[in-house]
Amino acid sequence: MNPLSWLFRRRAIDRDLDAEIRTHFRMAIRERIESGEDPESARLAAINEFGNVLQTKEEARAVWRGGAVAMVADVWQDVRFGTRMLIKNPGFSLVVIAVLTLGIAGNAAIFSLFKGLALKPLPGVRESSSIAVMLSRTSSGRHTGMSHPDYRYMKEHDQAFADLAGSIMIFASVGLGSDATRSVAELVTGDYFQTLGVGAQLGRTLQQSDDVAQGQHPVAVIGDGLWRRAYGGDPNVLGKTVYINGQPLTIVGVADPEFRGTVVSMVVDVFVPIMMQPVVFPPGRLDQRNAMMLMTAGHLNPGVTITEAAAQTRVLAAQLDASEPIPNFASRATVIPIWQSPYGAQTYWLPAIGLLGGMGLLILLVVCANVANLVLVRGISRRGELAVRLALGASRRRLLRLLFVENLVLAIPGALGGVALASFILPLIGSGAASSAPTQVYLNTSVDGYVLVFALGLSCACALVFGFVPALKTSRVELITLMNDISPRMAARGMMRSALVVSQVAVSLVLLIGAGLVLRSYSAARHADGGFNSQNVTALAIDLQTSGYDETSGLELINRFLDAAQAEPAFESAALALNVPLSLVDNSSRAVTIEGYAPRADEDLSFLYNVVGPDYFRTLKIPLLTGREFTRSDDKNATPVVIVNETLARRMWQTPENAIGKRLKTATGDWRSIVGVARDLKYSRLSEEPRPFVYYPLLQNYVSGLTIHARSIGDSASALRRVRDHVQKLNPSIPITRSMMLSEQTRVALSVYELAAGALTMFGVMTIVLAAIGIYGLVAYTVQQSTQEIGIRMAIGANRMDVLWDFLRRGAVLAGIGAVIGLVLAAAASGAIRSLLYGVGARDAIAFGGGTLVVISIAIVASMLPAWRASRTDPLSALRHQ
Amino acid sequence: MEQKRYRPRLEILQGTLDMLVLQTLQWGPQHGYAIGQTIRTESAESLKIETGSLYPALHRLERQGWVKSDWRQTEANQRAKFYRWTPKGKKQLLQERDRWSQLVLAIGTILNPKRSRG
Repeated sequence: MNPLSWLFRRRAIDRDLDAEIRTHFRMAIRERIESGEDPESARLAAINEFGNVLQTKEEARAVWRGGAVAMVADVWQDVRFGTRMLIKNPGFSLVVIAVLTLGIAGNAAIFSLFKGLALKPLPGVRESSSIAVMLSRTSSGRHTGMSHPDYRYMKEHDQAFADLAGSIMIFASVGLGSDATRSVAELVTGDYFQTLGVGAQLGRTLQQSDDVAQGQHPVAVIGDGLWRRAYGGDPNVLGKTVYINGQPLTIVGVADPEFRGTVVSMVVDVFVPIMMQPVVFPPGRLDQRNAMMLMTAGHLNPGVTITEAAAQTRVLAAQLDASEPIPNFASRATVIPIWQSPYGAQTYWLPAIGLLGGMGLLILLVVCANVANLVLVRGISRRGELAVRLALGASRRRLLRLLFVENLVLAIPGALGGVALASFILPLIGSGAASSAPTQVYLNTSVDGYVLVFALGLSCACALVFGFVPALKTSRVELITLMNDISPRMAARGMMRSALVVSQVAVSLVLLIGAGLVLRSYSAARHADGGFNSQNVTALAIDLQTSGYDETSGLELINRFLDAAQAEPAFESAALALNVPLSLVDNSSRAVTIEGYAPRADEDLSFLYNVVGPDYFRTLKIPLLTGREFTRSDDKNATPVVIVNETLARRMWQTPENAIGKRLKTATGDWRSIVGVARDLKYSRLSEEPRPFVYYPLLQNYVSGLTIHARSIGDSASALRRVRDHVQKLNPSIPITRSMMLSEQTRVALSVYELAAGALTMFGVMTIVLAAIGIYGLVAYTVQQSTQEIGIRMAIGANRMDVLWDFLRRGAVLAGIGAVIGLVLAAAASGAIRSLLYGVGARDAIAFGGGTLVVISIAIVASMLPAWRASRTDPLSALRHQ
Repeated sequence: MEQKRYRPRLEILQGTLDMLVLQTLQWGPQHGYAIGQTIRTESAESLKIETGSLYPALHRLERQGWVKSDWRQTEANQRAKFYRWTPKGKKQLLQERDRWSQLVLAIGTILNPKRSRG
């Protein structure tokens, strides 16, 4: 009989079996009566001879099912029974489901973030998690991209890669004049879309034929976002012209709607053939081996590991370097998985996600402990029922399965509720980070199959933990003790319940201390200045190239702006710069030659830099240790000058004073004399180590994309409006590509603290609530079960305070043990999150002390209520009770 | 207080019981109660079988296709479920008997080693 028909015929078989066994008894009894026994003893003898009827039926029935079907049918029966039981106990069920929902929600949310960063980092891309990134690592550990010639060489010779595409991510203005907006664009190689397995929803993608001659491919593929935003999803967009950095390009396609480019966390709006780099993002550097600007990535050949690929790439790069060395630049090409790639958010976020994940699992432990406690208490009250089941011949396995299934019935709504809650809180977390970011931030955190499977798996694992531990305890008991001894006192004082409460307290203390550390980092970071003063300073970005300026006219405009700004009474001072500090990502670096200095063979002499105009240091209040800052007279006609930071000065010339007058030059420029040494800043992130840095003067080193920093008197809205007015007055067609205060801009650097602090506080509060429930439950239960004892004690003279103290002490002792364990664990674990901390030690006394205080007080408060109730016990009614 | 817990049936009986049931069916179709009684009397009451365990065995044999069943009237005019051999069942009985003889022989050899070595 096949499984399905068995399912349908099950009732028929049951009836048949019943009839058969009835017949058996009738015959047996009749035969005995015929041989002279009286009817009653005949009946008893027949039953005795037969054995266990229920079990026989069960076994005979079992014959008719295959293994899996039997499981399914039995489990279905258990599910129905479990559901009925839980509906009968709505309070218990709802509390368990709610507690689970909370625990699963937190973990599912973190998992979604993790998925967006590591598992499925690039939506719309074929096997995006297995993409390998090829890049160079300088001797000082900094990552750089590959140069275009090197990329070509690697693509041709590297056998480890099945395919290898390259792209340069740039911030570009899209559109013309004052309509222009600032977007993220990628300059991509001809095989980019093919490598990623991304198609076009309209028109075509870029192809090899778009990757032939420099400057000869004025086409672009636009992203879904830009298509909908700027063109209203117009199906006739193909053939229209889009201006990228002022250059007209013909739209040939709209990329797949899911695809958002290859920079994790960024939404790329435009894809342009890399051959257009000299035009769209000049100067042309496609032939220069020291222009390491390509992010190269592709899929490895089947069977090739990252390590093997890295080895192969290193060998090729060494060959290349030997035949054609790059002066003043030592680096080693290597291959890393995309989740370690420095392009995008992953390296920035993953440590925080790791921390949150760890916290999430701790939370889950507390949740399990809490639920286990509830199940345990319920198990005690169900002992009678279980005993009857055992007596009727249910096997222990069957019994365990029933208990397990009952827990699953709780776990699955918990998982679904958790996922639902997670999809509700994720946008909140995401928007917190997104609102502080300068460009569109996108993380693939959508709740999808991955997240659902994760949540269900986690929830079922919880069901195993919180279902089986108590179930084992319940079912291990001898049948007879179960049926006769229903004294709950033994269970109430059970080691297990106490251990669960202790572990909850310990875990919540660890979480609270973690939250405390991160919160204190957050507040320290919020008040940190990164070495500059961003108060009342604008960070308004403009783009001159888009509105047709070249170097000469651009410099002329800059001078006119500086004149106007100097005359503006509302500005304390104003300056122009290429990049903003604390920008989260490392901006470009330049290799330099230092006069009279012979670098070691593998020394990295390429330094991060900024191009800044006159009054920059005064406007941002960056102290100069020695020398002067750039002035209006540091222009094309004057001696080339440069300013370095303290770290660079000390590294090369021991003291800042020594550095003055020394000279350095870039690959293409003249020798520049050092005229000033500035104090170190936090250039990208608050947590970064001091790094060498070079400032080039804007008036000698024209760039067209500029940020206007104006330190204003008055509120920020009027400051931004004033700057905008000045720009409009100069030329209304100049696009303002970003308009915000510098302090808003630098808030980005805080986003990770914000996220971690928010999530950890949420978790900390959640666990402490759970721990409080746990302690309250335990003490309340103990009180309830000890009513008689309390009555006796009070009857023989104990006063209310004695009773109150006694129960308070039980809660406090457990909390104390938990707190000590928690402190030890936290001290051991806090070192692991050191990289996330800022301005606070890993053993910060305030975080540790505060956390302990909170946990202990909450434990005492939680035990207070039931203890007080115990002290109100009326001895007479307590004794009458039993 | 110690109480005797429910004792599960011995696994070793299972295959043997199936063989005995098949054997009793050689005289023609029989119902469960009669099969039990036959085994009991033929073994001179020395095999203590809980009659209940017959039914799972019968169902097992039916599932394997070694016996077939139908409801018929007994001589005493009662409805009962009668089991009878199938050709497959007959072959199975022969095999089981062979196996049993070999088992008895093998065990006998071990229990009385001298005799077998001569």
